[in-house]
Amino acid sequence: MEQAKSARNFSIGDKIFDVCNIIFMIFLIIVTLYPFLNMFALSFNDANDSIRGSIYVWPREWTLRNFEYVFNESNVFYATFISAARTIIGTVISVFCTAMLAYTISRPEYALKKFVAITFIFTMYFSGGLIPSYLLTKELGLLNSFWVYIIPGIIGVFNMIVIRSFIEGLPEGIMESAKIDGAGDFTTFMRIVLPLTVPALATVSLFVAVSQWNSWFDVFLYNSSRPNLSTLQYELMKVLSTSSATTSSGGSAGDAFANAQGNVTAVTPTSVRATMTIVASVPIIMVYPFLQKYFVKGMVVGGVKG
Amino acid sequence: MEKHAVQMAKSTSEDSRLRTLFKTLSKQKMLMLMSLPFLIWVVIFKYLPLWGWTIAFQKFRLAKDLFDQTWIGLDNFRSLFQEQQFYLVLRNTLVMSSINLVLGFVTAIVLALLLNELRKVYFKRAVQTISYLPHFISWVVAANIVQTALAPEGIVNVLLLRLQLIDHPILWLGVGEYFWGILGVTEVWKNVGWNTIIYLAAITTIDPTQYEAAEMDGASRLQRMWHVTLPGMKPVIVILLIMNLGHILESGFEAQYLLGNGINVEFSENLDIFVLKYGMQMNNFGLATAAGMFKTVVSFIFLIAANNLAKRMGESRLY
Amino acid sequence: MRKKKWLQTSLAVITAATFILAGCSNNEPKGSNTETGRTNGEVSTDPVSYDYFAFGTNKDVIASNTTIGKILQEQTGVDWKMEYVVGDASTKSGVMIAGGDYPDVISPVSELSKLTDAGAFIPLNDLIEKYAPNIKRVYGDYMDKITNEDGNIYILPFTANVNGYLKEPDATSTFWMQRRVLKEFGYPEVKTLDQYFDLIEQYQAKYPSVDGKGTIGFLTFAGTAGEFFTITNQPMHLAGYPNDGNVMVDMKTQEAKLYMGTDYEKRWLAALNEMNRKSLLDPETFTANKDQYLAKLTSGRVLGYVNYSWQIGDATNNLKAAGNDDLRYVALPIVFDENTTDAYIDPPSFVNNRGLGITVSAEDPIRIIKYWDNLLSEENQKLIQWGEKDVTYSVNEEGRFVMSKEQLANRNDNEFKRKYGWAYFDYEWPRYGNNSLYEDGNAHLPTSQPEVAEVNYTDGDLALLKAYGLKTFSDFYAEPVERPWYPAWSIEKEQGSPEQIFNQKAGDLQQKYYPKMVFSSEADFESIWNDYLAEFNKLKPADFEQFITSKVKERIAGNW
Repeated sequence: MEQAKSARNFSIGDKIFDVCNIIFMIFLIIVTLYPFLNMFALSFNDANDSIRGSIYVWPREWTLRNFEYVFNESNVFYATFISAARTIIGTVISVFCTAMLAYTISRPEYALKKFVAITFIFTMYFSGGLIPSYLLTKELGLLNSFWVYIIPGIIGVFNMIVIRSFIEGLPEGIMESAKIDGAGDFTTFMRIVLPLTVPALATVSLFVAVSQWNSWFDVFLYNSSRPNLSTLQYELMKVLSTSSATTSSGGSAGDAFANAQGNVTAVTPTSVRATMTIVASVPIIMVYPFLQKYFVKGMVVGGVKG
Repeated sequence: MEKHAVQMAKSTSEDSRLRTLFKTLSKQKMLMLMSLPFLIWVVIFKYLPLWGWTIAFQKFRLAKDLFDQTWIGLDNFRSLFQEQQFYLVLRNTLVMSSINLVLGFVTAIVLALLLNELRKVYFKRAVQTISYLPHFISWVVAANIVQTALAPEGIVNVLLLRLQLIDHPILWLGVGEYFWGILGVTEVWKNVGWNTIIYLAAITTIDPTQYEAAEMDGASRLQRMWHVTLPGMKPVIVILLIMNLGHILESGFEAQYLLGNGINVEFSENLDIFVLKYGMQMNNFGLATAAGMFKTVVSFIFLIAANNLAKRMGESRLY
Repeated sequence: MRKKKWLQTSLAVITAATFILAGCSNNEPKGSNTETGRTNGEVSTDPVSYDYFAFGTNKDVIASNTTIGKILQEQTGVDWKMEYVVGDASTKSGVMIAGGDYPDVISPVSELSKLTDAGAFIPLNDLIEKYAPNIKRVYGDYMDKITNEDGNIYILPFTANVNGYLKEPDATSTFWMQRRVLKEFGYPEVKTLDQYFDLIEQYQAKYPSVDGKGTIGFLTFAGTAGEFFTITNQPMHLAGYPNDGNVMVDMKTQEAKLYMGTDYEKRWLAALNEMNRKSLLDPETFTANKDQYLAKLTSGRVLGYVNYSWQIGDATNNLKAAGNDDLRYVALPIVFDENTTDAYIDPPSFVNNRGLGITVSAEDPIRIIKYWDNLLSEENQKLIQWGEKDVTYSVNEEGRFVMSKEQLANRNDNEFKRKYGWAYFDYEWPRYGNNSLYEDGNAHLPTSQPEVAEVNYTDGDLALLKAYGLKTFSDFYAEPVERPWYPAWSIEKEQGSPEQIFNQKAGDLQQKYYPKMVFSSEADFESIWNDYLAEFNKLKPADFEQFITSKVKERIAGNW
């Protein structure tokens, strides 16, 4: 590696490449950071002032009222706890189970390998629809329970495929030698496969964690009348829908009567949405930098050979 | 058991093949144990609700039981396929999802390659983390930002005017033909960082000695990217490609819905919006289910074709 | 044989797994309310809590945590767990029906026909007859309107006016003009659309920019699909009709006629087209989203705009708060022709497809109906609108209800309204209609009480009213005419019916053609209009008109 590095330093082409690359990355940073800065600015800016427009990356009239309004929902803190719980428990269970299943369908000798794989893969492309799923959940007694957040999503098919292709990328010799040492499949999976597929598991964990943290539809569908099972995203949805004053439907003056009186609000849907974005996404965004250390280059194979 | 054995002996060759299967399986008890619970799970949670497809053949009424529904045969499919608008939205759906597919893949792969070439670890991590931020913004917010940027006095027009590329502001969302492009760029902006993650993980599996060997052979930076990194990512790319081809009729919903307007509606309206308007909003579950089944059929065709193609080309495949 | 056994075994495994999954679902006992085990029929004042679910928009609450809810609980022993829909209403009602479990009472809003269809509500007829004198008093005159086709009453609507009909003092039209324009030209009378656009043109010519930014002549709100009716509804208003949805109902023949595809619509579009050619129409009319629209409105650059006041809520409060009355807007009674009488003030109306009903899941409907009856007493109706005497309002020597500036501010403050309970009890419960009076002559709605409305006027408001010689903003408009079917938009169209599909397709067509016609050159306008007309006639508008006409006639005959 040392030699390689010094060799690199001499190439002019390399230098030009690096400079262009860095300029491009800086452009990328500006473009992708902007929406967040914009949300930040809107969330700290007076809502009524924001209606005037032209808020970009910095608040014009600072205020904490948007945050007060959002946190005023007494349930927010408890809901955050439920969100964290479903994220952690859901991720651990789902990633473990998905990896285990992925291992079985990566074994070339497994007689049901193809059957299992196809059975799962096909489910990505159909759905029986909302009503049957709801009735099923009801019949299984999962309504109004925490487990409705975990059990229906225990296997992610996409994730299963990702993990499988990583396992298949591992040198065959490792697993064979484990077999020769007398290890069963479960032991091989636990002792050898799991540690060697850490980058894949980290990736998949991120996917599962983000979708667990962000989901609110299952709360809406199954647990909406249980405040003690509500999640942060759902509470924020409630705050948002309360702040959107009118609900005009379709063709003409829908529910004008509901809003006949001049109400005075300190917030607007736009500012609430911005505040929500900040409140809901900052915790989960923190997960990625933490996982990044598992994306160490060459870790898998290097680890084996070394 | 004894009786069974006798019967089995008489049975056809198919049964004997089955027997070998069971024999193999009895040896693979552990693998069975590790996958069977999930098979049960998938049957219950994914296949059982498929009875809902019967709705496509009914004039579905929520309050009624399955057997009290009015059965109307293929009427729902007929009204779907006879609708002129259906073919327009089908075109829009296919075009937009193809654009998303190609653009999404290319940009994510290129970004992954370029990120991999960054030397400063902290800079690399910072770029990674920041570039995936827009993924966490809801479409409502993202659409709002896009609309503001594309307004006559928005940043895009201001920049183009300054650079003298145009001489008067363009009403970007007011020209139907621009819609697909705008949507493609928006999708990339929102998801490129997120889509890159999986490729970055794939890159970690590449054996570092391959880079060393390439360097010894005097390969340049670009050559190494082309001959080592890219092939290292290939299995993942192929698998993702096959999977996404199955989703060819899913071009997203919210982005089109939020960025669409009266002027660009002939380009922005896709299958999902169509189904929402004529199915869900009118509680026409039958039509919505029929559309869902149509999508599934198309998905399977694309999925199986892509998978077979990959098989024939000797690439990694989905199953 | 062996195969079959294998199948049996696997089925057994599935069943077992199902039970295991069900077992670990940690299902808490349902209906944790205290009423479980009570005998039916007997009405007591034991503390109970019922579930209330509304498809309106609000923040969930326990009723007794509000002042009003607490007072009502003390009277009846009943408390409510009030939940409001979040997310898609039709999905929510769908799973409610599929699951068959309902909260005790539901305010279905747009989900009414679906829920009645599913048999979610119990008939209230007998309950009202036996237990509810106040309900009979309030809804007595409306019995035919609240009775369903099958002879049953399922919901109690929110718009039953009692003790007469009081006009709202600050009604608005849909055409707004910036006050400085009127001031500039000495507060002229502006009645026709031509005059209105003409005034905008003159002002724009005189003052092409404000603070370095160009003025925007005229703005419509047509950038999002959900708000497109703002632009399509106007021919109706300009022709002198109130908001009957997409039809105008002839006063004499009682025929409902679509105005889509008529000369009225053509005139409106031609006027917009002309405004566009004169560069007086905002080019973003069909592309700006709500935020962009509001930003423009509050910038003070816009001279005139069109929309319903409830669509933009308090966005223009910004301008009020800024204290510059000249930049604020006033709605004017604009019509097509000088001799047309405007119909911007709603005629007495009854909306019978919004209401509150008791569901089949309710264990003690008698107790609920008694609660409602108690809520409809004159005393409690004062409570849900005015609050408590000498706390949230006062009574002057003449017995009139008045509010001080602070009291009014509280009445309008969302946070206060939630804490006090107005936000929960002044709508989506059985109630007096908005135009009701109390027996003592006071207005049911505080904002309809002239003494209260005055407190709200700024100096600029008073100056403007004085210039036109008016006392309230409603005086701009003609007196409403009795229309016994009003509003026609509340006529229920069955799910997936030809009428509903017509509505959707007609709306799609307008969305597609309006921009073309407004932005076309003068020469092209006619041919695009003809294309539009041809497409429109394909939709069989006559069938739709016939449907609405028959429903209107039914309503006039008393069959709502």
